[in-house]
Amino acid sequence: MPPRRFEEIVLPHLSAAFNYARWLTRNDADAEDVVQDACVRAVRFFPSLRDDDARGWLFAIVRNTWYSRVSRRAGAAELPLDSTIDDPADSALDPEARLLQQLAVARVREALEQLPVDFREVLVLREIEGMSYKEIAALVRVPIGTVMSRLARARDRLSAVLKPPSLSMERVP
Amino acid sequence: MICDEVTRDLDAFVDRELAADAAAPIREHLSACASCRQRVADREALGRLVRSVPYYDAPERLRARVSGQARRTTSARRLMAWAAAAAVVVSIGGGISLVRSGTVRADTPVDEVVNGHVRSLMADHLFDVRSTDQHTVKPWFLGQLDFSPPVVDLASVGFPLAGGRLDYVAGRPVAALVYQRQKHTINVFVWPASGGTPAVQERAVRGFHVRHWIRNGMAYWAVSDLNDMELTEFVRALQTT
Repeated sequence: MPPRRFEEIVLPHLSAAFNYARWLTRNDADAEDVVQDACVRAVRFFPSLRDDDARGWLFAIVRNTWYSRVSRRAGAAELPLDSTIDDPADSALDPEARLLQQLAVARVREALEQLPVDFREVLVLREIEGMSYKEIAALVRVPIGTVMSRLARARDRLSAVLKPPSLSMERVP
Repeated sequence: MICDEVTRDLDAFVDRELAADAAAPIREHLSACASCRQRVADREALGRLVRSVPYYDAPERLRARVSGQARRTTSARRLMAWAAAAAVVVSIGGGISLVRSGTVRADTPVDEVVNGHVRSLMADHLFDVRSTDQHTVKPWFLGQLDFSPPVVDLASVGFPLAGGRLDYVAGRPVAALVYQRQKHTINVFVWPASGGTPAVQERAVRGFHVRHWIRNGMAYWAVSDLNDMELTEFVRALQTT
């Protein structure tokens, strides 16, 4: 087995790690700090990475790093929301459609950010990262049944927030 | 089956996490119950909404800092390993030739296509021909390869073709088709195949999802960091065109 390089194995997942941290912290600067600290640890522990799931491994380190920061700061006021939203919108759309798309995205993003972090986290891992219940359970360290019930409650709350009018746009026959 | 039971398993059903024998009665119930059908459709619509939120990409300065630090640590580590090895040689008094740690790796296609995917993103060499027009991309390959890969644009189902390039897998030149889904890149490697199964095989390697199938005498390998569900959707679209 040749020495594998951190740059080839772990770095391709840097944006995924940043996206995950960004959803945990809801703040660009904090997300950057968390990922930077996590990567310092990841580089150090890299020789011990055994399995094939580099993304899951990196996520676990990001999560631990974030968690220890949050508990250090326990009691501190909730961090302010970052209101700068610039979505790279689909350039193929006409200006009006693009604006509508941006508004819809901003609304979903805001609704997600307002969910409690436990709910936000499982939704992001499931929907955006496409992780299985088993993978999420291992990362978040809860039973699979808890992952399922958390997802159900997260979706119930999210759809309640988003209900009028952007959901229920599709009626089934 | 009553609606309450569907409620209990709604999310696992939508997430395709139910075992087949548990999903079948739900599917049966759905064919008869419009309100449960609506609930499943609402859940699926909600999922699409969440997935429409763009990725927060890692800032360039963060990437630069992390890779700089990885390089420094790796070379320090290598230096220490060499120093230790050299110390052994010195203490034994020579006579031992250092054996270089093996650099030969039994690469299977799955490793090679994942490497090809990563390489294409890292070196920023995604395209030899950059075009969303299948009638531009396909003829380009004709001049490069001794086979003609099928090239289709899937923009109508949300996976626009972005271009193509020549890559090397298993010691032969192959076609790499590049598709985009929002910020995610999908590389599809195609080359002539002898035998194999048309059934789609799924793998996860180093955090990337890989799909492999054979169709009309061509081997297909799709690699992406796209989530499982959307990649499955993509493969289905590619197979039915």
